[in-house]
Amino acid sequence: MKTDRELVKYCIDRMMAKGAQKAQCYLKFNKKHELNVDAGEMTLLRTTFDTSLMLKAIINDQKGVLKLNKKDTESIDKAVDQVIELAQSSLPDTANDIAEKQPPKEFTAGRENPDLDLMYDRLHDFVLYEKDHYPKTVIEQAIIDFTQSNILIQNSNGVDFAGNRGVYSFSVMFTSKEGEKASSFNYSGCSMKEIDKSLHEFASVDALLKQSGEQIHTSAFPGKMVCDVIITPDCLSSFIHYITAYLSDYSLISGSSIYKDKLNEKIAHEMFTLHSSPRSPEMAKNYFFTTDGYEAQNMTIIDKGILRSFLLSQYGAKKTGKPKAVNSGGCYILEPGTASFNEMVSSIDKGLLLCRFSGGNPSDNGDFSGVAKNSYVIENGKIEKPVAETMVSGNIAEIIQNIVNISKERIDYGSAMYPWMQVKGITVSGK
Amino acid sequence: MIEKNISKYNKLFSEYTELRVQENRNCSISVVNGDIMGNNKSSESGVSARVYKKGVWGFSSNPTISDETVKDVIQAATENALYLNDRERKNKEPLPKTIGTAEKDFMTDKQRKTQKEMIDFLKKVDDHIEKTYSDLTARTTMYRCLEMEKALLTSEGSHSYSMIPRSIIYIVMSLVKDGQPFELYEVHGGFGQFEDIFDKPDDIFEKLQIQYDHLKKKSEGVYAKAGVADCIFAPDLAGILSHEAIGHTVEADIVLGGSVAADYLNKQVANPNLTMVDFAHTALGQMCPIPVFVDDEGTKAEDAVLIENGILKTFMHNKESAQHFGVKPTGNARAYTYSDEPIIRMRNTAIVPGKEKLDDMIASIDDGYYLMQASNGQADSTSEFMFGIVKGYEIKNGKLGRAIKDTTISGVAFDMLKTISMISDDMVWSCGGMCGKKQLIPVGMGGPAVKCKVNIGGK
Repeated sequence: MKTDRELVKYCIDRMMAKGAQKAQCYLKFNKKHELNVDAGEMTLLRTTFDTSLMLKAIINDQKGVLKLNKKDTESIDKAVDQVIELAQSSLPDTANDIAEKQPPKEFTAGRENPDLDLMYDRLHDFVLYEKDHYPKTVIEQAIIDFTQSNILIQNSNGVDFAGNRGVYSFSVMFTSKEGEKASSFNYSGCSMKEIDKSLHEFASVDALLKQSGEQIHTSAFPGKMVCDVIITPDCLSSFIHYITAYLSDYSLISGSSIYKDKLNEKIAHEMFTLHSSPRSPEMAKNYFFTTDGYEAQNMTIIDKGILRSFLLSQYGAKKTGKPKAVNSGGCYILEPGTASFNEMVSSIDKGLLLCRFSGGNPSDNGDFSGVAKNSYVIENGKIEKPVAETMVSGNIAEIIQNIVNISKERIDYGSAMYPWMQVKGITVSGK
Repeated sequence: MIEKNISKYNKLFSEYTELRVQENRNCSISVVNGDIMGNNKSSESGVSARVYKKGVWGFSSNPTISDETVKDVIQAATENALYLNDRERKNKEPLPKTIGTAEKDFMTDKQRKTQKEMIDFLKKVDDHIEKTYSDLTARTTMYRCLEMEKALLTSEGSHSYSMIPRSIIYIVMSLVKDGQPFELYEVHGGFGQFEDIFDKPDDIFEKLQIQYDHLKKKSEGVYAKAGVADCIFAPDLAGILSHEAIGHTVEADIVLGGSVAADYLNKQVANPNLTMVDFAHTALGQMCPIPVFVDDEGTKAEDAVLIENGILKTFMHNKESAQHFGVKPTGNARAYTYSDEPIIRMRNTAIVPGKEKLDDMIASIDDGYYLMQASNGQADSTSEFMFGIVKGYEIKNGKLGRAIKDTTISGVAFDMLKTISMISDDMVWSCGGMCGKKQLIPVGMGGPAVKCKVNIGGK
């Protein structure tokens, strides 16, 4: 019986012996305990064990990648033969490579095992709390899980990293009903190292539950206008995702990114500073190294409005001739501003509090449009009625240039940290 | 390949138990501007058990398939059910008994293509695009194959085996006109394996020309005028409407979670000519793109007639929700991987064809739009929906006019269904995407073209 480390080394050695000139092996073992609430009732306890073994072989600049979830020698030998065949079947691309040698390291974060009884108690108490405080609101689904991950990555250049992480995650999806009327669904959640407080106290859970009941009775945003919009932290994650997609491999390699020639140029308002911090102690759901074999480091992607880094992998960097990122993105932290959320609301005569955006991916030029969900009209400096059938449209690149304010308050999701962001120039149209 | 018959394990069951052995095999090749950016294969297999005890479930899975791990997962799932039952004490009745048996293996009987042969096929398509359409600024050709192979055994006596393949080629073309980028994708393939669907690259060339022509027209197109308009939804779009805007709101777990559809049962929700069905495996005498014969709870899969002549007739159920609503389960409980528990999912959701001709439907509109393709769609428990439209044309005086640029449509589906006034007599299926809920799963969606009124976003 091989240890996991011996098994990974065996994979590398076997790929090299079978003709690979460069080889990488990534082994991940996940053990998950998960409790589920469906339609307001505790219904399911799951315990799952998953293995993921990813082999990468490069022969004459031709690459093959094969993934399986077995660790026995027979399966691995067969997989090695297959990945060699995949590489031999491909076409040469000089951008195909593996990471350079770095000092071996082992990383650990979080606890090793869950407290299952505490998970049950927290979820049970959450269901009671929700029913007691928000009787019109139904929990469609709530899930708490604890995942213990053990990851190894080695390559034929001598990369040798190990990472062990245990993290709790909680998510909840809910709708409110009164008679035949229903609110839009909404959801929240976060990752955490410990469940040391009630689940409704994490992230935006309690605030969104409270809002849900208010959103049964809605009206359309009156008319159509270009106005200030405050994007909530929950909603901001969608827009951060759109922005970072333009900075990533596919968009830059295909040449469609609006930011392809903008490195070290101003692309956003000076209030906008975005970090990707997978090694930050603030991130419960962190990571230690990239899947292409580099130790992950924290980085600032946009610093006071200046684009300081793309999110290119080793392949993407070689393909585009642009610098490689020092991590794989994610774990985003947006720097807070100086205004309070209440001050931002007070500054708006007529606008929208955008709490969830239901829209498609933006066009290549950054244009987006979609429906404002779970959102509120702001009038005379106050949050007024929740809206329905209200569209918002604008341009992603312009949004981060047209920032009016960023709040000093932020929400910690354990895998990201976002403030409220007030922007101008968004078109809002109702009926 | 997995063992087709796992009946030997039935002696290990002590409670209501579902035992599933499953392997998902994926193949993925991506050619971006001529380079092989992705050349991957993956296989994920294992065994799982789910146990029911008086209103609660226990589940466990293991990637190793052996007599020992089968015993382990049944024991762990049983212990999990007992743990939860001990705390919850719901004391619910046993679930309705269902017995389904089927053996359906759709593995191709043709000689399997090697990875190199498939790469060569894609490269020929890519070379043709590069050579023929020199003004494109970017092109992507992707192949994605998913084979889902399952063996199921339940303590009630259901046993089934299925191997359901899906093979898709996606082609994305981009060009820049007056400094503005434009993009259009097309999906080819569906149910079956590469060898069954894709014979020669030349077969795709003609379709590439159609895609390119649409892209050129789109780059010279106009913005749609914002507001409510008479529209024809092409079958692709009608399929997304059926799935996203209606289908999800009538999944029984969503109904119990607060969907607005909870109060619409047996009420008129659509034009009386409209019938919508979630087909199990066969529609209008043809195999559906994602055929389900026995679901992952062991229930024989039957069609769920959701809307009949405009009246909402049923929700989609698993055993537990069918018991709650006092109806017969129709086999909508599906799991994506071996380590997923079955949840309520659609299978092949479509509006049933009507009697009109598409040309007559277009001719009936003086000023409106023919909307052909969506980039994505999202819906809500209120049935409010939003679709991004990436391919469409104006209709002026009964004829197709200029192409329109990307736009968005939105509305409340149960209001919009009442505006459907014409339904075409054809039926087109698509199954290129994955439906996301707690788990991903491939689904089929389709239908005829429909004429309706919808809010279009304009610029």
